[in-house]
Amino acid sequence: MILCKPIGQRLSVLFLSFFALSVVSVSAQDAAAGKALYASKCGACHNIFKKMTGPALGGLEDRHKWADHKELLAWINNPAAYMAKDAYTQGLKAEYGSMMTGFPEITLKDVDDLVAYINAEVVAQKSGGDKKDVAAEAPDTSNQNALIFGIISLILGVVALILMQVNSNLKKMSDDAEGILRPAPLPFYRNKTYIALASVIFFVFGGYMVAKGAIGLGRQTNYQPDQPIFYSHKVHAGINQINCLYCHGNAWESKHAAIPSVNVCMNCHKAISTYEKGPKLYNDRGEEIDGTAEIAKLYKYAGFDPNNPNKWDPSMAKPIEWVKIHNLPDHVYFNHSQHVTAGNVQCQSCHGEITAMDEVKQVAELSMGWCINCHRQTNVNFNYDSTKGNKFYSIYEKFHNDIKSGKMDSVKVKDIGGLECQKCHY
Amino acid sequence: MKKVLYITGSLSLVIALVSCGGPRKDEGRAYMPDMAYSRAYETYSSTEALDKANIHYVARPVEGTIARGEMPAYTLKNDSAGYAQSAFVKNPLDSADLTAEQLTEAARLYQINCGICHGAKLDGNGPLYTSGAYPAAPRNLIGDPLMLAMTEGTMFHSVTYGKNLMGSYASQLSTKQRWQIIAFIKAEQAKKGAPAAAAPAAADSTAKK
Repeated sequence: MILCKPIGQRLSVLFLSFFALSVVSVSAQDAAAGKALYASKCGACHNIFKKMTGPALGGLEDRHKWADHKELLAWINNPAAYMAKDAYTQGLKAEYGSMMTGFPEITLKDVDDLVAYINAEVVAQKSGGDKKDVAAEAPDTSNQNALIFGIISLILGVVALILMQVNSNLKKMSDDAEGILRPAPLPFYRNKTYIALASVIFFVFGGYMVAKGAIGLGRQTNYQPDQPIFYSHKVHAGINQINCLYCHGNAWESKHAAIPSVNVCMNCHKAISTYEKGPKLYNDRGEEIDGTAEIAKLYKYAGFDPNNPNKWDPSMAKPIEWVKIHNLPDHVYFNHSQHVTAGNVQCQSCHGEITAMDEVKQVAELSMGWCINCHRQTNVNFNYDSTKGNKFYSIYEKFHNDIKSGKMDSVKVKDIGGLECQKCHY
Repeated sequence: MKKVLYITGSLSLVIALVSCGGPRKDEGRAYMPDMAYSRAYETYSSTEALDKANIHYVARPVEGTIARGEMPAYTLKNDSAGYAQSAFVKNPLDSADLTAEQLTEAARLYQINCGICHGAKLDGNGPLYTSGAYPAAPRNLIGDPLMLAMTEGTMFHSVTYGKNLMGSYASQLSTKQRWQIIAFIKAEQAKKGAPAAAAPAAADSTAKK
């Protein structure tokens, strides 16, 4: 009985895969030709599994008269003529808002290939659907380590205290036994050595904490607020390699890096409505995040209905109220374009390894010392010619001459006024 | 013995407070609040208070105005008639705006805004599509006969208003930047041996005006 069940399961799996293989192998050649055709002709507007510019193509043979490939061919070759006497395709145009582009060069063989490819994909999706368990990634454990170390040091401290008590008790007993008379021992909290030690520790520790707290006033290192949507920079900028400037393009030409408006999100998410292929997402409390549900939140802001993509009106979108993380006091002036365009500073230099962060937190302390330090150490890109390098610093004639004559080997930001008060405070 | 308990208790409390890690959720306090928070309305600050005072701030330029250094607005409407007319629109940038340096800038803008789908080589194989994240095949800008035949005006119209699944890029790229990118795509098409008809047309438009 114990053996029976697995064998039964195996047999059924074997049978299923054999069945799937046989279906695929019969139409393998056709499907391969169909795949190339599909990518070049259909893929821009159709997806097999979901509605996009046009209807989902999976299971198209069950709809209308498409099981007859001649009908399908007539429609593909000349949609306008076919639609004139056909109510179903007129309905399609009403639903999707536009008529399909005609492909007069498609032949009946092509249609057979295309349908074979689409059916093979549908079969592959169904059989592949069950085995989708990705190994769960364990959430970060560094916090637990800190807690364990804390508890261990506490226990060690208590043990040390007890040992000291035991030691003094033993000493007293040995003194009693040998008849040595000593004054009654003071309890440790009246012992001057202990008091002095404790007060020194108290002042050092307390002073450190007070100084640290005072320095931290107005600084937000590690600030990581909860955002209205769990937007993962790791997925977008890391895994999918979207350029930072795609969304934050203003960093190139303006003071602010700018938060993208909803229509920028929808440039891609009009088509990407589910989160399936990426790694599992966890928030900072270790709870798993459903990416698809987060995209649905975006659709709510955008007023977008994924079942009816062509009815979307971008002007009805509502702004998402993201929480600003990197705050500078009002008495500091900072300009992104000066650093990114003229200075060629990478985003990651100040914002940390953004492409590895699910939820963004402030990495740099954004203090004045931190700014000044970088201005002291960073070289300015002075080596320009007609095509590369920037011409922003071309007016610093003396420095250019000094570099040429070998008096200087590099120009730091501080040399061109990077430490002057009024550059940032005015 | 009671005091020992007291001291160990308070010590453990301090340690517990210090070791209480986890992400920081509060902004903290400002040292000099009067100089830390702007009294003026900053970018992205809420305009709720203005609304209450009956001042309706729309955050958009006044209709019909042009920003300094920007080109006159594109006038064709986002409808099928506008799309048809756009075929006859010529690239208004003259050769001074399309130097090798400007085309390098256009290539940079292309890689940031278009390359993610249409591919770094303009062949429709952008990383977002090849990784399987994006479900629709982006147009092959240098291989698809449809794209080779498409005039620069129609391309500009599509980039400005969006076409099929592609959204509008008018909010991300200025009019001039969009024309530069179109010029870059047409130049790349010509390099790849586009039909003879398309190349002179592109050359015309840059020579004129």
